[in-house]
Amino acid sequence: MEENEDVPKDFIKLKSEKLSVDEVSELVVSPYCGAVSLFIGTTRNNFEGKKVIHLEYEAYTSMAETEIRKICRDVRQKWPSVKHIAVHHRLGVVPITEASVIIAVSSPHRAESLEAVMYCINTLKASVPIWKKEIYEDEYSWKENKECFWANSEK
Amino acid sequence: RLSPRRRRRRGPAAEGSSPRDGGSMRCQVSVLYFARSAELAGLRCETLSVPREITSLQLWEEIVKVHPRLALIRDQVVFAVRQEYVLLGDQLLVLQPGDEVAIIPPISGG
Repeated sequence: MEENEDVPKDFIKLKSEKLSVDEVSELVVSPYCGAVSLFIGTTRNNFEGKKVIHLEYEAYTSMAETEIRKICRDVRQKWPSVKHIAVHHRLGVVPITEASVIIAVSSPHRAESLEAVMYCINTLKASVPIWKKEIYEDEYSWKENKECFWANSEK
Repeated sequence: RLSPRRRRRRGPAAEGSSPRDGGSMRCQVSVLYFARSAELAGLRCETLSVPREITSLQLWEEIVKVHPRLALIRDQVVFAVRQEYVLLGDQLLVLQPGDEVAIIPPISGG
């Protein structure tokens, strides 16, 4: 069983249930690694003075998983010492303060996992076909990541 | 020039077709709509018959003929054809029956 710990793994999940930081961390923990770095994306309760009631996410699921797999492959090319990578993204309704996305990366030393986590979330926002709708009291808005090169945002 | 194949199906005659519409060769593709584009089109997926060889911009125009309200977001979308991003423009697509073509409004994951 010990040999399995040596094989780097990617854990990718898109799901509508509440995400768990404990679960995602435990996926990447390894006795060969001294560092686990985490990013948690949570939902804010306001945008430009408007009260956000909740968020809704949808995805082109099969392509989203493929794009996240590409991100993991790129991470391993850039940081070869990275051991395990976990990316969990929630779909459907996400209440305020709950997590929309959790990314965890393990590596023997901390620099690689910290850098890899940042790369994962930045690249996810630029390339993974997932959409967020912010629901306000009287209206809603489809958000656009500034990282998305085909968005027209003037902000 | 394209070789003049047997025109069994309705010829491309009427619609001011450009030389690049693959003659009369068409195929059925699955078109997927997401986010704002699903709201404007009023549905999430359908099968459309489109020319097999077509530029991405021409493919967009075929889809807008079916769902004119999509024209509102023309400047903000890309396609994903067989799960690869394609800008709306001159890129020539060679489509196969059953290919997935997705309308991709600006993304907002994470």
